[in-house]
Order: sequence, then structure tokens, then C-alpha cells
Amino acid sequence: MWDVNELWMQFEIMILNKGESILITFPKQFLIGESCLIIMGELAAEQHAKYILTIEKKKDDVESVLMEHLRINGAYWGLTTLDILGKLSAVDQETVISWVMSCQHESGGFGGNEGHDPHVLYTLSAIQILALFNKIEVLDIEKVSSYVATLQNEDGSFSGDKWGEIDTRFSYVALCSLALLKKLYKINVEKAVRYIVSCKNLDGGFGCTPGAESHAGQIFCCIGALAITGCLHHVDKDLLGWWLCERQVKSGGLNGRPEKLPDVCYSWWVLSSLIMIDRVHWIDKEKLVKFILDCQDKENGGISDRPDDAVDVFHTYFGVAGLSLLEYPGLKAIDPAYALPVDVINRIFLN
Amino acid sequence: MNNTDPSSLLHKFQFILDSDPLIDEVGFVHPSQFAAISDSSISLDPPSSDDNLKSKASEANPIDMAFWCRDHKLGISTHVIHPLYNAAKHAFMFSLKQYRMVVDLHTNKVVLDTDNVSNALSSLPALESEIMNHSRALLLLSCDFGTAWNCRKEVISKKEDIMLYFDELKLSTLVLSYSPKSERAWIHRRWVIKMIAGKCTDLHEVLKNESELAKRIAEKSKMNYRAWNHRCWLVSYMSESQIIDELINNRDWAGLNVADNSCFHYRTRLMTRTLDDSRYKQDAIENPSHATKFYQLWKEELTWSETLIKRYIGRESLWLYRRFLSLCWIKHFADRMCGDNVNLFLDSELLLFRSSTTIPDNVFEDYESQAMFAATYVMWLIKQLDEFRGLEIQQKVGEEIEEVVSKVCPNKSFLWDLVRMKSGRQ
Repeated sequence: MWDVNELWMQFEIMILNKGESILITFPKQFLIGESCLIIMGELAAEQHAKYILTIEKKKDDVESVLMEHLRINGAYWGLTTLDILGKLSAVDQETVISWVMSCQHESGGFGGNEGHDPHVLYTLSAIQILALFNKIEVLDIEKVSSYVATLQNEDGSFSGDKWGEIDTRFSYVALCSLALLKKLYKINVEKAVRYIVSCKNLDGGFGCTPGAESHAGQIFCCIGALAITGCLHHVDKDLLGWWLCERQVKSGGLNGRPEKLPDVCYSWWVLSSLIMIDRVHWIDKEKLVKFILDCQDKENGGISDRPDDAVDVFHTYFGVAGLSLLEYPGLKAIDPAYALPVDVINRIFLN
Repeated sequence: MNNTDPSSLLHKFQFILDSDPLIDEVGFVHPSQFAAISDSSISLDPPSSDDNLKSKASEANPIDMAFWCRDHKLGISTHVIHPLYNAAKHAFMFSLKQYRMVVDLHTNKVVLDTDNVSNALSSLPALESEIMNHSRALLLLSCDFGTAWNCRKEVISKKEDIMLYFDELKLSTLVLSYSPKSERAWIHRRWVIKMIAGKCTDLHEVLKNESELAKRIAEKSKMNYRAWNHRCWLVSYMSESQIIDELINNRDWAGLNVADNSCFHYRTRLMTRTLDDSRYKQDAIENPSHATKFYQLWKEELTWSETLIKRYIGRESLWLYRRFLSLCWIKHFADRMCGDNVNLFLDSELLLFRSSTTIPDNVFEDYESQAMFAATYVMWLIKQLDEFRGLEIQQKVGEEIEEVVSKVCPNKSFLWDLVRMKSGRQ
């Protein structure tokens, strides 16, 4: 995926600077692979894994307790990061799974933590975590899928929970959950797609409801949902790609809306959308890699929203997942629609 | 007992909230800031037999201070957030468990022991008030604690009293005062409005207040997607005259916040409503003067947008807004009128393009951005217009666009290739 000639040139400059001319005799193909590491700066993979494992155990500090209502989202971000880094085995699977199952509500949906009300956002995280461990079968699949299916409304949209707020995020989460459980037939997919398409704006982007402002996060949800249901033909890819590629700012980072500062999380939302509509060559990928790497805390691990800010698990996940989409060496490939490692998705759909 | 004893902290917190129902702002204050404001603080102690609790906050060492309240503003020490949160959460979760148990008993009347049921039911009002108190305390510390918002909905939707819904709007406003992006607080408002929409006589007034609130919050917290999204959501409830009022009232604010894309999207939403209002379409045939009103509205908006583009150099939001205005103008107005209105309009847009691409010698970054936005604006129009018009524009300014792109944004040259390919001229 790297431009071989440009890499070669950069590599030559580097070698010349170091005076190690002997390396020049290597064929150009050699540069594709591990040596990208040398050229692009380094991902502090070990430190990031260590960082995730530390916060996974931390439950009592003020930062953790104030986020406890969405701990299951945090667990999904952290565990997926570990899997992409090839470090998932460092986690005690049994403890995680029994905790996840303790978050399930009698309705079949999952809460963000034990004793919390169910919501479709947390239900997807639960399914994704179990998928990572190849343990979807511990679920009562009928019950969970029925919970999600009952949240569909007459117009095809989805409510997040029984209180009725509607958002295209919930459409994505519902469709993704049901696809992973192979239960899409329980809902009216055609209507679900029609509702998502009705949220498309004149600029090619999508918002949370019809007429709402285009936002990269919502675009990921809508494009992801359309990709999962095989309905991307509803999208003007050039028009949407145009809006998405305009999210790249001078530093190489991506923002989520016009005039906003770049943020590592959009390395996921924007990038995965561009990949799904086949327009990722419209942005400067090398500059984006550099931007993400600049947001690392190389000493203590973790990635922040922008260089020199405080790290958190949310941005660590999006940074590592973004690098995986950019085919950064040493990382497992991630699926841009399901937001799970490709091998996990293959295990579900190819077996 | 001292200030950091969790249950007494919670007690004190709830006492303050109860004794001043007009509190309209909550914030977290570092103990070092307390020192600066402590001389003006007032006593906040709840009536208690415990002597230690009676010590006046103003006399206390700032380090020990937990709360500060004056002029209906409440400050909470960052040092007590953790114990206070724990106390509020445990109290809330405990009451919630009991409340749901009692409600279950009530709904499943199959329970044989009727004495127990009636005993449990008699405790319901007390449990409800506990739930409301503890969830309020909790939400003022953790704004997106969904379960706390949910159980408030649960309690209130069982009552007939419409005033309770207004109290919910007040609590949500208070939460938004310390966390303007709180998703759950905004969702709670929409739930309340949907619940009262059929019952309340002055919905018009409620919507006006909501729009005002969103504006106030957008003022403090720029480009707040959730605040503006809430405002966009209100549009579907607005009458035509309210739409026009909003457009006029919002104009000055937009003119002062030209980098706020959300604000311009709000205008996009309002302007679109003037188009898809079925009345508008009917009026175009039956009442031409009404249609002229909209024509005038759109024309003024285009003129205003051009003024802003020329006044504030290199603002992305302004150019994106113009893409929307121009495309709609061509589709809904210029194309429908006789004569060569589309060409006249496009010619004026090309003039705007030319005037925006002259970069002064002492190259400023803003001027380069302006040139880039002007070039991508014209290219975008070519892409979105029909082939014939696209080709015409290309013939008129194709070379100039190519020149600007290669000078200020060579990385965007693929967009030029894209629009040329579309018109079949490679």
C-alpha cells in the first residue's frame, strides 16, 4: 500500500544520512513490510498493551468510577486494541466473560455495567467482546436478538432503548448486532436501510436523524450499516468521499466536521468510511500515520486525541484501529464495518 | 463526622439543592479556588444535631470546604467528587432496587400475600421521592448515567402532573450548565417535549425557550453538535412564521460565529424547511406573492453569504454553506423561471471565484485557503450540476481552476480529474 518509489527515496535519504551505503543493494520490494517501521517512526505496541492491561484492572480511581456506566464500551475498546496488538491472551477470559454476562438484563439487552439499564449500544459491545473470545454461544441468541429487534420502529429507524430516542447510531448498532448473531431476518432490513438513506444530506454525508448535520461518526454508522446489509449502492461515493477527504487538515490528522480540530478518533470514523466506499486513496495516508504516531505516550503507553494531550482507552483504540486500517506492520487487520479483527469476522461468517 | 464522610456529604449536597430551588449553574471548583471565594461564601449546613456539621462553611478551612453557593450558583470541590459520587450512587442504586421490587409486586398481582403487597405499595411514594432525590444528586456529578435519567422517566410518566415535566427540563438545564455536551441530558429534554407535546397549551413558548437554551449553550460551548442538533430537531415542531423568525434572529449570531459549521447547518435546516413545506409548493401556484416571499428570502440569504465570504477570508463553513445555497437556488428557483437565470447566476458565482483567488504578494495562509475553497466550490458545483451546465462552467474557468489547484492545493488535483471525467472531457 505504500508508494514503493517514494519509500525507496526516503529510505535512501535516511541511509545516506547515516552513511550506511551498503544497504542500498537491497531490492526495493524488501522495503514493504517491517522496514516501514523504521521509516514511519514507531508504534509503542508493548507500552500500549501494558497501558490497556493496567486500566482494565483499575476500578476505583475517580476517572474509572465516573465512567462506570459505560464500562462495557471501554472493555470492548481495550480488548479489541489488545487483539489487534496480538496481546489478547494476556487477559483472563473467564473473568471478563462472567462480568459481561452479569451486565445482561432480563429483557435480553445489556447494560453498561452490572445493575445498569439495558441499551442497544452496550448490547453490541457485549456481543463484540464475546466474539473476540469466540464465545458468542454463551449467549441466549434468541433472547438477545429479540431485544434488539423490538427496538425497530415503524419507519425502519431504531430506538436506543425503550425510552424511544432515535439515532442512526442505533440503526448501525442494531444491524451490526443482528448480523453478528446471524439474526438479521428478525427485522425489516429494507425499511431500516430506507431510514438510513433518509438521513443523507445534500453534502453527501449523514447525520443522526433526517436533516441533522453531517458528522463523521454518524457517517461511519450509516455507511457501516449499508455495508453490512449490502446496500452501498444508495451512496454517491464520489460526493461522500469528497466531504470525507476534506476532513484531512494540514497536520495530516482528520477532523469529524468542518472547522474542527483533528482528533485521532476520526482516524477510525473517517478512514473506515473511506475504505468502505473505496476512496481511501483520496487522503494522504502517510501523513495520517505520522499524526497518529505523534499522539502516543511512548513512555507509559496510550494514545490521545491530539499530540501532547492526556491519553485514554477510547483514543488508544481508535489510534491502533486506524493504524491497522492503514496496514501498519505488525498489527492484525481490522474489518472497517464490524469494527472487529478480520480473523474474528471470518471465524463467524466463514465457519 | 467530618466533611468527607460520604453520607454526610450527600446529605449536605441534597440540603443545598433543596434549600435553593433556583440554582441555575453547577461547576467543579479546585480547593485552591475556594480560598479566593471563601470570604464571600455563606453557610450551607443542613439542620442537624451533629455539632460538627454546624460549623459554618465560611469559617472552615478552604481545604475542608466541599460546597460553595451564592447567587444561585453552586460550586462543588473537586476533592469531594469521588466520595460524593460513591455515596450518591450507592444511595440511588439501593432505592432503585427497592423501587423496582415494589413496582414488580404491584404489576404482578398474582402474589398471594396481599398484606405484603399493600404494605409495599404504601412505601411507594417515599421510594419515589428517594429515587428523585438521589438520581438528581447523581446526575449532577455524572451527567450521562443513563439509568438515573431512565428511572426519573419511569416515576414521572406514571403521574398526571404536567408540572413535573417542567422540573425535568430544569434539571436537564442544570446538568447542561456543567456538561453542555451531555448526550443523555439532551435526550431527556426531547423525551419531555414529546410527552407534553399533546398536553401542554403553550408548546410554542416551550419551543422558544428550548431554542434560546440551545443558543445560550452554543455561545459558551462552540460547535456543540448536540446543542445544535437539539435546535435542528425543534425545527420539525415549528410553524412557518417561527421558521422565518428563527432565520432572522439567528443571522447576527451566525455573522459573529462564521467558523461554527453547526450554526450554518441549522440555517440549512431552516432554509430547507421553507422548501419542503407543502404550503410553499401549493402557494407557488395559488398564491404567487407568497412564493415571491420565499424567493426574496433565498435571494437575501445568497447575498448575505457572499458578503460574509468576502469579509471573512478562508472560512470553510461559509463556503460549504454556499454550496448548499447555490445548488438549491438553481434547482428550486433559477431553473423554474423563464429566461437564462441559471447562467446569469453561475456567471456571478464565477466572478466570486475569480475575486477569491487573487492572493496578495505577501502570501497569507488565509488567502490560500480562500483560493482553495473557491476552487473546490466551483468544482463541486460542476460535479453536482447536470452535464451540460458542468461542461459550460469548465469551458469558462477550467484553466483558471487548474492553475489555482496546482498552486495552492496540488493534493486536491484528483478532484479536478474527477469532475472532468464526469463531463467526459479527459
